[in-house]
Amino acid sequence: MQMHGFLGRLADVLARQLLSWLRRRVEPGSREWLDALTAESECADDGWQRLRWALGGVPLVWTINERRQLNEPGRGTMRALIVRGVANIAAIAGGFAVIIPATDLATDFFRCHLLFGSQPGGCQEHPFVFASIAIGGAVLGMIIALALRARFAAYWWAVCSVFNTVGSVWYLRSGIVDLPRYGATQSAMLMAATFGVVLAANSVGAPASFLSRHRIAAHLIAGTISFVMADFLIRMRDRHVVADNVNHYAVLGCAMFAAILAGLIDRHGSPKWRPV
Amino acid sequence: MPRLPNTSPQTLSVLELLLESPRSWHYGYALSQLTGLKSGTLYPILLRLADQGWLETRWTEPEQPGRPPRHTYRLTGEGAKAARTKLAEAAPSRMTRRLAFVPGSR
Repeated sequence: MQMHGFLGRLADVLARQLLSWLRRRVEPGSREWLDALTAESECADDGWQRLRWALGGVPLVWTINERRQLNEPGRGTMRALIVRGVANIAAIAGGFAVIIPATDLATDFFRCHLLFGSQPGGCQEHPFVFASIAIGGAVLGMIIALALRARFAAYWWAVCSVFNTVGSVWYLRSGIVDLPRYGATQSAMLMAATFGVVLAANSVGAPASFLSRHRIAAHLIAGTISFVMADFLIRMRDRHVVADNVNHYAVLGCAMFAAILAGLIDRHGSPKWRPV
Repeated sequence: MPRLPNTSPQTLSVLELLLESPRSWHYGYALSQLTGLKSGTLYPILLRLADQGWLETRWTEPEQPGRPPRHTYRLTGEGAKAARTKLAEAAPSRMTRRLAFVPGSR
């Protein structure tokens, strides 16, 4: 009987905590319906009934937030979609418009070829020059994207910046010892950078969540999960040949760096910066 | 084929209940008890009906001190008219659905 009473009180506390947590997930101007549901929870006879009632707040909050997003002025209109698409394409093209001609000019100037590996006469003989072009182009692309408020392009160039930076450091430190190792590490790095950007962008973007209030923790969690996911996927590809050769420091660096960069982009974008 | 708005069995049961006394104000908890709908189903329905202008809402003072104000609902004139039409349109299919659950009706 005592146990039953304890569990009932526990359910009551959980119900109130859940309703309080849900309230923080809704913007102040849209809380009417959640407040209505919360007020009615007082009619429940016991803790379990109140918890069952409070659980109904989850789909309600989902509905409220979905409707709020749909009702935002200008959102989802054809014109807004076109403007956003053009801005993103322009920002992505802007970065490549720097990287491609600069790479061509550099290969002409140094009389080398765009070869990867340990072949003589390849661009890897001038690692600082080509690394600078790759990193500089990606960073410039990111700046253009931020200036145009094109968030997709900003994240795109964030992945490229991270991949190029960590890849260049890794290459300068250890060189290309053998191609399978180089390829496997690059695949894992690219995956980790992509996951890092996507996870960090999503985790800090939610309004009034734990992760949005603790941004550093959010970045670290996003980076760690990205590293684990990339490592897991690369291990699945070919356990014996690939996994043992992957440079895990480079993958971890990519995941963390990408999560931090995505967080900075998001910080730049909220709350006043609204992407087009 | 997408379903027409406000024709789900859950929405129809809410409309049916509200139509029983269209000028009275109803509490969410009582509506949930009488229709058998969970709060997570009932409140999105009420929200949608209010958005469409079928339902008017009002905050009332709590009956007991220390309790929060309560939200109450009733059909608007337009809502009552539309609800009657929807229920009339859905009557044959609702009857079929009910019969399908009667033992030995198949």
